[in-house]
Amino acid sequence: MLRLASCFVLFFVSCEVVCAADSPQQLEFFESKIRPVLVEHCVRCHSDAAESAKKLKGGLKLDSKAGWQAGGDSGPAVLPGKPGESLLLKSLKYQGDSHMPPEGQLPAVVIADFETWIKAGAADPRIGTAGKKQIGMSVAEGKKFWAYLPVKAPAIPATADKAWATNDLDRFILVKLEAKGLKPSPDADKATLLRRLYFDLIGLPPTPEEVDAFVADKDPKAFETRVDQLLARAEFGERWGRYWLDVARYAESLTLRGFILKEAWRYRDYVIDSFNVDRRFDEFLKEQIAGDLMKAKNTEERRRQIIATAFLAMGNHNLEEQDKKVLRMDIVDEMLDVVSKGLLGQTVTCARCHDHKFDPIPTKDYYALAGIFRNVQATDDANVSVWKDVPLPVEPALEAELKKYETQIAALVAKIATAKSQAAGKPGAKGALAIVDVKGIAIDDSQAKKTGEWRNSSSTGTYIGAGYVHDDAAGKGEKTLTFTAELPATGQYEVRLAYSASASRAANTPVTVFGADGEKTIPVDMRKDPPVEGRYVSLGEYKFEKGGQSFVIVSNEGTKGHVTADAVVFISLDKNEAKKDEPKPKVVEPDALKALQDELKKLQSTGPKRPLALSVVERAKMEEAKIHIRGLVSNQGAVAPRGVLQVATIGEAPAMPKNQSGRLELAEWIASADNPLTSRVFANRAWHWLFGSGLVRTVDNFGTTGEAPSHPELLDHLAVQFIAEGWSVKKLVRTMVLSHTYRQSTGSANPADVENRLFGRANHKRLDAEVIRDSMLSISGSLSDARGGATYPVNLGSDYGYKANDNWRSVYLPVFRNSLPEFFEAFDFADPSVVVGARNTSTVAPQALFMLNNPFPIEQSKLAGGNLLKLSLANDDARITHAYRLTLGRSPTDGERVVVQKYLKNQNSQPEAWAGVFQSLFASAEFRFAK
Amino acid sequence: MFLPISRREWLTRTGCGFGALALGGLTHAANPLTAKKPPLPAKAKRIIFLFMQGGVSHVDSYDYKPRLEKDDGKQMPFDDARNIANTGTKGTNERVMKPLWKFAQHGKSGRWASDLFPETNAHVDKLCFVHSLHTEGVAHGPATLFLHCGSTNFVRPSFGSWVVYGLGSENENLPGFVSIAPSSGNGGPRNYGNAFLPAIYQGTPLGKAGGAITDATIRNLKSSLSQADQLSRFDLLKDLHAEQLKANPGDREFEAVANSYELGGRLQSNAPDVLDLSKETAATLKLYGVNEKPTDTFGRQCLMARRLCEAGTRFVQVTYGDSSANPAWDQHSDLPKHGVHAKATDKPVAGLLADLAQRGLLEDTIVWWGMEFGRTPYAQKNGTGRDHNPGGFTSWVAGGGFKPGHAHGATDDFGAAAVTDKVHLHDLHATMLHQLGLDHEKLTYKYAGRDFRLTDVSGNVIREIRS
Repeated sequence: MLRLASCFVLFFVSCEVVCAADSPQQLEFFESKIRPVLVEHCVRCHSDAAESAKKLKGGLKLDSKAGWQAGGDSGPAVLPGKPGESLLLKSLKYQGDSHMPPEGQLPAVVIADFETWIKAGAADPRIGTAGKKQIGMSVAEGKKFWAYLPVKAPAIPATADKAWATNDLDRFILVKLEAKGLKPSPDADKATLLRRLYFDLIGLPPTPEEVDAFVADKDPKAFETRVDQLLARAEFGERWGRYWLDVARYAESLTLRGFILKEAWRYRDYVIDSFNVDRRFDEFLKEQIAGDLMKAKNTEERRRQIIATAFLAMGNHNLEEQDKKVLRMDIVDEMLDVVSKGLLGQTVTCARCHDHKFDPIPTKDYYALAGIFRNVQATDDANVSVWKDVPLPVEPALEAELKKYETQIAALVAKIATAKSQAAGKPGAKGALAIVDVKGIAIDDSQAKKTGEWRNSSSTGTYIGAGYVHDDAAGKGEKTLTFTAELPATGQYEVRLAYSASASRAANTPVTVFGADGEKTIPVDMRKDPPVEGRYVSLGEYKFEKGGQSFVIVSNEGTKGHVTADAVVFISLDKNEAKKDEPKPKVVEPDALKALQDELKKLQSTGPKRPLALSVVERAKMEEAKIHIRGLVSNQGAVAPRGVLQVATIGEAPAMPKNQSGRLELAEWIASADNPLTSRVFANRAWHWLFGSGLVRTVDNFGTTGEAPSHPELLDHLAVQFIAEGWSVKKLVRTMVLSHTYRQSTGSANPADVENRLFGRANHKRLDAEVIRDSMLSISGSLSDARGGATYPVNLGSDYGYKANDNWRSVYLPVFRNSLPEFFEAFDFADPSVVVGARNTSTVAPQALFMLNNPFPIEQSKLAGGNLLKLSLANDDARITHAYRLTLGRSPTDGERVVVQKYLKNQNSQPEAWAGVFQSLFASAEFRFAK
Repeated sequence: MFLPISRREWLTRTGCGFGALALGGLTHAANPLTAKKPPLPAKAKRIIFLFMQGGVSHVDSYDYKPRLEKDDGKQMPFDDARNIANTGTKGTNERVMKPLWKFAQHGKSGRWASDLFPETNAHVDKLCFVHSLHTEGVAHGPATLFLHCGSTNFVRPSFGSWVVYGLGSENENLPGFVSIAPSSGNGGPRNYGNAFLPAIYQGTPLGKAGGAITDATIRNLKSSLSQADQLSRFDLLKDLHAEQLKANPGDREFEAVANSYELGGRLQSNAPDVLDLSKETAATLKLYGVNEKPTDTFGRQCLMARRLCEAGTRFVQVTYGDSSANPAWDQHSDLPKHGVHAKATDKPVAGLLADLAQRGLLEDTIVWWGMEFGRTPYAQKNGTGRDHNPGGFTSWVAGGGFKPGHAHGATDDFGAAAVTDKVHLHDLHATMLHQLGLDHEKLTYKYAGRDFRLTDVSGNVIREIRS
């Protein structure tokens, strides 16, 4: 009693109003049964202390009453008097998705104490602070952040030096240099400038002749003429299209099982073409997000719009994820990531689990955007889900032809089915058949692994091998047969089950096929005669891998009547395999059936093909998303009506339609002159690609954790001009390369601006993998001029170990996620699974080993050396000069002549010697940079 | 085929080559691979991860469950992970299947183990078993990525990349992270990829799963050119670089490229020696089961792992698996096939443990025997195999300051789910990093505006398994 009393006193001292209703008995209960458990098992992660140690989990605090009242991310943890609705109790009971404490469930009596405590009103004398608070920037504050302010044309600054600037861009650069007391660098020499321009606009070096012509050209418009010529070349789209493909995480296969995205190349070609025809950039963006929902003038435009939506569909998804609700949200998240990072420079996906910790992006905004993409279907669900290749519209004439053809096929298939069922009824199919005479790879029931008791029988007289087995219609749910095949090769197979039919058999025998893509259960009605050859039922076509799982389980679970099984047969559908492995079938198919099948085959191989495109479709039913608490599909909160980012919305937010996903509205909001991010983000990307670093150097991050622009007014000036000139990328590029800023030499770093943030000199730019490879091919004279289309074998099954050996321009080499061209891997190609606005630039030993030992540089050097020797050049000195001009775009220094001559002197074979000169030049540092 | 260039020939070229030429060139501190002092007291310096791809059955190997014997063949309700993911249904009826191998207690520690791995059983006193592991992902694809990168789906750096990022390499002339015989499947290169970490932390693949071990070498280590051509071109390149640097004094990027050739040359001269098993004694070869049929491949791979570690490689993974969708240990049917895989790996694993111990390397090397998930204690579809079980399984770690002969945590009576002292794979990752002297919450890298780490927002260091 004494103890109770003191506790009572304490409680009055420590808290006044909150706990007024708690009785002394309740508090005693709390102190003796609840508090110790909370202290021992909970507060390490759920307390003020945990919060200050940055270890607070789920935003929940259990070290005070206020803590559990406010609750964490999932809402209040305890509802006094309502144990059934209290999340804390649910977690303790390991019900639902949160299991607490995570290291193991508490004893049942402890959990019962918690139930008692909550039921009695959850008395708790502890005061303290609640858990959740705003951590990032609010939307209202965010509206004042530079990136979310409206884009406005700034005043053109006045500079002290009136002569230097050639356009307004230069004035913004110069005024900042002058403010720091700095001067721009002198112009680069003409040869260097031309080489830089070629790499920047078309990704290939100029020939020595082109350099000579330019150096000799005294026309004041000489450079401008070259710019316009290069912008007009098909290689411009190849270079700039590839930049965009980095942003779009373009790839032609998935990591998962190396699945080939057979239609992805159409998107690549679309991108290249878009840059070449200078498609309005706002249109270009809209088509990629919502092309299928836009109006089209004609079939061609419609095709283009559908192809463009592959942008959304190319994510590197783990389609094997077994929880399809999770997969759906992962896909939504990925699309959102590409759209937000790629187009808006926003790291929106941080807000999937909680309000953004830094940027003014609440979780509600994430789910408003996610709601749009949840209404988009990117896959058909299956054990391994499948992406969507949708038919492309075709011209009316072809459409009519296709329709006719498809009708023919359908008719033939129907005829064959009829003929088969007739053939099946024929007495020829009866009787015993030896295993060796079975077409395909047969596993007899005698070879099957048996669980439970199976009886042998041969009483019907029709069977394969030695009789068949049945379950005696007993021990239902306890018996299975496992038929395992050792298949000779990876490929598609048809799987058939032979069984013995009669009226007393089971109507729904579950038969499960296990293949490379998982398992599938097919119910077999054993009362009916086997439809194929009177012996088999086809279980369907499956992919199997050599050495992988290839087996069939026949179960008697949930069946009535006898379950029988005679054999399982795997028939290869691959033509070559079929020929190799199969003995001639003894049971000859009737001539009429064979004729029909031949006709079908012929028609299928010769008929017109309906073109397909990788795309997404709208879901049948539109809905709003609910906020997923802590990002979990199993923990859903309030509805977040579809919408766009509040902080980046100037004026009215777009209204979301009832009958569409809202993609079109999102696309229009993004591709709008009023969007503060879109034009700025792209103008900055273009600047980064041309000048080697962005005005905002974190090109994919315009949020508060990104870097502020070095020249905010210039960025706005460019964005405004970009929009005013009809979102023309070519005009934007033209403005930049015709500036005086672009023509500066690299010079050396000025101590006042070591990082060259003020652009008072040209950056020394690392060449991309493609540029290095394409340059080598072009110098060796072996660059292919083939363009576009699928660039790998049509029937390629997976990307594992694929080696591209073609001399295509690099942009056309297949981008396979499991087997990137080795050149790309070595030289910092963009990771094709994520948005890459700025590539890594690494200098590592494997690059050196590649250049020294890989067959590619050795071969290209040999070719280049051979070509050089064919030219009529006076002597080795002239050859050295030419080799230097081809590879480095300049003549050698005296010192360089000396060392090459010294090398040549010790060589016996001319071709090998010159191959060596080229290999060393290709391998040298200077070859990898543009000055 | 030409003879490889002798080590001496290379050394004369690379010993004081470009680095000396490039006056004021990269200092050693600038090399991101230079060994770094770990921020916490470290018990281990390196990891050998033996990846048993496909998922070894814990209830047939190390997690002894007498109930499975007792209830063998009975239909009982279980919460099957795949059923829950696919349909949300819990408590489906499954047929309990007893272990196919006999359990007994082994060693002084009396750890339970079946006779699936008889040779390894002789070393149980070195092993620290974690019986209460659980992880993410019911299918191989997601679960394998989770095992390697701590995430089922998103693009994240591999464990090995994080370790080299945190600690650098003990030998700048060798790759810091090597993956021997990696599988092309279930994440393929992403399982040894650096993702958004700098490329220097990328794992170096050595051969591929299912490929001949004799082909296993580092890419581009050999040239088709004659030795004379290789050397003369290398010398020419060195001279060209000297000239280019004269014209561009102080250009750090040029210097870095020039230096990369020096490093490349040293790699080319060192790596073949490290990978050359012919220098090993007959007794050592025998210890690993080299030149014996079932164990030759894995034995050579384990021995290479030891040689790499000895030479200073920080993280070596050896994969026992293949590139199929249902890799090696994936016995959905025909559980006895576990025996075949056990035969191929048991002796090499035991050999590696013995060899590391006798060389005093086990002390500061973590050997981690692990897999993407365990298997169900019941027969899949009532057949002859077991399905995946991410909810409870066993891995062991040895050396590197882990408690030897210890068992931590437990699954339920059937081995279906971890229940006592549960250890999430995030926790095991965190604990291994801790042993290496790295705080898993502080080993972060900023990318796309956010700090990322191997353990995402989770992971607790499991103190009870550290000695």
